[in-house]
Amino acid sequence: MVQTLKKSWTTFKTIFTGMGVTMRHLLQPSVTLRYPEERDELPSGARSKLFVHIDDCIGCKLCERACPVNCIAIETVQATKDVDLGKTSTGNPKRFWITTFNIDMSKCMYCDMCVPPCPTECISMVPEYEYSEYDRNNLLFQFSELSADKVTEVKEKAEKEQEEKQRKKKEAARKKKAQKADQTSKAKQKNSEG
Amino acid sequence: MAPVTSPQPAAIENRTMTINMGPQHPSTHGVLRLEVTVDGEVVTKVKPDIGYLHRCFEKYAESLGDYAKVVPYTDRIDYVSALHQEMGYVIAVEKLLELEVPERVEYMRVILAELQRIASHLLGIGTFGLDLGAFTPFLYCFIERENILRILEKVSGARLLYNYLCVGGLMRDIPTDFTSDTWEFVTSFRPKIKELNDLLTTNSIFIDRTANIGVLPAEVALNYSASGPMLRGSGVSWDLRKNDPYSIYDRFEFNVPVGQGEMGTVGDCWDRYIVRVREMEESLKIIEQALDQMPGEGDVKEAVPRRIRSKEGEVYVRTETPRGELGYYIISEKSGPYRIKARTPSFVNLSILPAISKGALVADLVAIVGSIDIVLGGVDR
Ligand code: SF4
Ligand code: SF4
Repeated sequence: MVQTLKKSWTTFKTIFTGMGVTMRHLLQPSVTLRYPEERDELPSGARSKLFVHIDDCIGCKLCERACPVNCIAIETVQATKDVDLGKTSTGNPKRFWITTFNIDMSKCMYCDMCVPPCPTECISMVPEYEYSEYDRNNLLFQFSELSADKVTEVKEKAEKEQEEKQRKKKEAARKKKAQKADQTSKAKQKNSEG
Repeated sequence: MAPVTSPQPAAIENRTMTINMGPQHPSTHGVLRLEVTVDGEVVTKVKPDIGYLHRCFEKYAESLGDYAKVVPYTDRIDYVSALHQEMGYVIAVEKLLELEVPERVEYMRVILAELQRIASHLLGIGTFGLDLGAFTPFLYCFIERENILRILEKVSGARLLYNYLCVGGLMRDIPTDFTSDTWEFVTSFRPKIKELNDLLTTNSIFIDRTANIGVLPAEVALNYSASGPMLRGSGVSWDLRKNDPYSIYDRFEFNVPVGQGEMGTVGDCWDRYIVRVREMEESLKIIEQALDQMPGEGDVKEAVPRRIRSKEGEVYVRTETPRGELGYYIISEKSGPYRIKARTPSFVNLSILPAISKGALVADLVAIVGSIDIVLGGVDR
């Protein structure tokens, strides 16, 4: 009997202690936000969306290589000698046309591994988080600004230059060979004469 | 027409029934399916069915061929205490490569790990209360957890999967207001533990639901190689931070709380719960000491190798996560990792469930699962 009464008393007491805590919390200002009317500010450096300043990209593909899930796809074409692509804002010379620079944000895991390796700091996370889409394909962000015509043009040009180079190389190699053969035959002659 | 005979009433026999709990059950903390054989209201057999969240961590980590790229994947092993998973992994790789890490980085890692421990325990305690019908403490725990997540977000840029530690250092510099933020949190959090005690620990209903339930004797715990609060709740004082210090844990003074059976038997659900609560206080102590001792200056990326050159070798490193002993076993070849094995505490601790839930009521089974505090990401990997 005494036991039961004691037990009831502790139950009663502990419940009211808990209620007291709740009451105290009731009088405190609310901690929740009414999203989307109110929103919290993201701290600087929050990782929510990737952005590339394509003008500053030198096409080194370091970011592509650093990504663990391979969601960055970069294709580059070497610029021919007659064009000067200029320099990036950090002073690095640009030598490649960036024909493709796609980031598949639906695959990205926001790990931030691609950002530190970039030598020109052109790939970065921006604090933007409301970009959900109904269609998954819309999450493939394309950063390359070259038109399709331009891409074929630069590709052809680069190919031509490459061919030219190859030809020259071959020619040079042939010349060298001929020279060598010449020399060896001369040497042989000398030997036989001697 | 033949007269209709009424069917014979079947003899009432004592038959057992098999029911499913999960994988979409609100109290299984993720996608855990329990095959429960019940005799009326009493559980006679439990069989955890796991694998719903299997993501091939080990195979994938080996196939990446690069030690640095694995770190974001370790986060996802146990997403509630991501920093501990990273810490174990980077320490293992550093040991393999024989890298020295600057002091400042070590202190930072410890502070972050302890903050993460508090956050993880808050979630564990909150959901444990929720399983038993106490909704309010859950919300209050989340308010406090939010403060920690904010600090971590400021530091790393992410709220849950930080990818902040890297082999040899940290991914980013430490923000200038990190120390003041953490101090502020530490001072504001102390009184909240008392509040939590008022709400849950001493609550008589809570005690009735947890004391003497799911008793795990120390011997059984050791035989199943349990670790973390699961083992300490059974009265075994075993904490890797004390018994096999890694990083710089040997520099701090703290106690290892163990279950004493204050409300019932040693090793019951209440003991496991109280160990977590007391561990939070110990974590606060470690954070305070670390903040005091942390060097103010220093480059956190000083020892980060530009390219990790793999070495032949074999290491096993174990660290104490909020759930117990996390081990990484790495066999390395010249070309890269050959085998990366993660021994997660959640998996091992869950294997005890069939042993301790025999004879419990179905409602108590919920309490027992909650008190193990598993994270299914850690169970399945
Ligand atoms: S954030 Fe990570 S997953 Fe996303 S593109 Fe960069 S490296 Fe790849
Ligand atoms: S690392 Fe930077 S510069 Fe190099 S390809 Fe990527 S975005 Fe361009």
